[in-house]
Amino acid sequence: MNYPRKYFFYILVLTSSILYAIISGIDATVNTLFITNPFILGFSIFFVGIFISLLFAGILSIPINGKSIGHRYFDPSFKRLRWIQKKEIKYHVLAGIGNATYTIGYFTLFTILDDPSVVLPFTQIVILYLIIIESFNEKNAPTLIEIQAGIMVTIGALIGSLNLTGSINVMSLLIVFAILIPAWALLTIYQQKLKHLQILDNQNDAVNIRFWNVIISFALLTFIMFFYDIITANTFLIDGIIQSFTYLGWISLIAGGMFFVYILYIRALGIGKASVTQAIRSTIIIFTIPVSLVLSNFSIIPLFSTDPISLMIKISGIILIVIGIISYALTQVKAYIFVTIEPKVDIKKIMCDFWKIRGITHVSATTGTYDMIIKIQTRTLLKGYERIIKKVENIKGVQTYRWESVLKEWERI
Amino acid sequence: MIHAYILVIMQPGFSNKAVDEITKQEKVVKTSVIAGEYDIIIRVNVKTLHELHELTMIFHKIKGVKKTITSLIEKELSI
Repeated sequence: MNYPRKYFFYILVLTSSILYAIISGIDATVNTLFITNPFILGFSIFFVGIFISLLFAGILSIPINGKSIGHRYFDPSFKRLRWIQKKEIKYHVLAGIGNATYTIGYFTLFTILDDPSVVLPFTQIVILYLIIIESFNEKNAPTLIEIQAGIMVTIGALIGSLNLTGSINVMSLLIVFAILIPAWALLTIYQQKLKHLQILDNQNDAVNIRFWNVIISFALLTFIMFFYDIITANTFLIDGIIQSFTYLGWISLIAGGMFFVYILYIRALGIGKASVTQAIRSTIIIFTIPVSLVLSNFSIIPLFSTDPISLMIKISGIILIVIGIISYALTQVKAYIFVTIEPKVDIKKIMCDFWKIRGITHVSATTGTYDMIIKIQTRTLLKGYERIIKKVENIKGVQTYRWESVLKEWERI
Repeated sequence: MIHAYILVIMQPGFSNKAVDEITKQEKVVKTSVIAGEYDIIIRVNVKTLHELHELTMIFHKIKGVKKTITSLIEKELSI
């Protein structure tokens, strides 16, 4: 069936967020009751994660009527589990550094704050970093709506992350801004680059990206912890292995859940911009509240305050995030440009000239009335003119061009 | 695999129902309603030119379709 592409994109991100909120509740339980050391817990999750990811990726590779389960239900680009390709390695290493650092930072934050409804909203501030990085990549200033939405989500996340027990921790803020957010931004950007790579004549798939990310993150973390143990005379590495077996059920639950959280998230990254994906993912702030209430009910985290002012502030934060997300997600302009080329001009060179323009997503050399059909995606019409049309007019060999804006789109995904 | 764009000019008032019919076709991967000289642009993936011809014939039979222009993709750069 064909669906408007954005609905499918929202479903992917929201499912990933809901699942992540549930997993965060399990994280908080394990971190509070069983493994309190963030290094040991992080290591255990990656250690067990390798076997869990191998198991799930193996199951998803099973063919049914010629097509694998993963291809049918998760990512049409996925065929089967495969070896890492040479051109992927540098992106996987950078994403792995991001993932390993984020995991340790995330569990350190849990050690300090306990409550998932406080920890996860904090991590959503990453959207500001992503907007800055995307603007830098596009060699263009962000639009007003991007700035407004980014600020709204950031302030909303800060207000929404107010601890309902009333305390504020400076150390946790430092961890969020100096470690957690840069690490998550690194992971998101390089996972997206990996998803856009062409592997064996196909677009890269979410399942293999996640599988190799776990392997490389584990290798990096083991390397760091090995030297850390030698320098500080600790035994975190050995403890990590022992705890993995002791709490195998709990750790497997987290690792298995995270496998699906990430493949849904990576699949979404292949469709939308990283900052938009992150903006929608900020809805996690809403989903963590019932999780925290359940944990609070079982006395795993401190009891919730019933102070109406605290609750009102938290709700205001959530409203700000939702408004920010909506305004961000609804402002996207797509268009086609139909181009005719002067005779005796090198088409390949003109295709490359078009391809260099930021915002152009497809350049197709075609037969028929037009020589090229070009697809565009931009934030505003003004940006489309400033960033695209002005440059198209300067390409030598372009005879005529016709801009046609997309009003609505359906896609088989 | 042959990839192609089919540009469609419609009679006023028929676009919505035509899109419903177009998106039902299995070979159609993307359908966009656009503003300008054309009303709908369809991206199709077919195995043979014969399949493309059959698909075009189906589109011609849809009520309100005035004209179609088929452009085969010879080479493509995409993200």
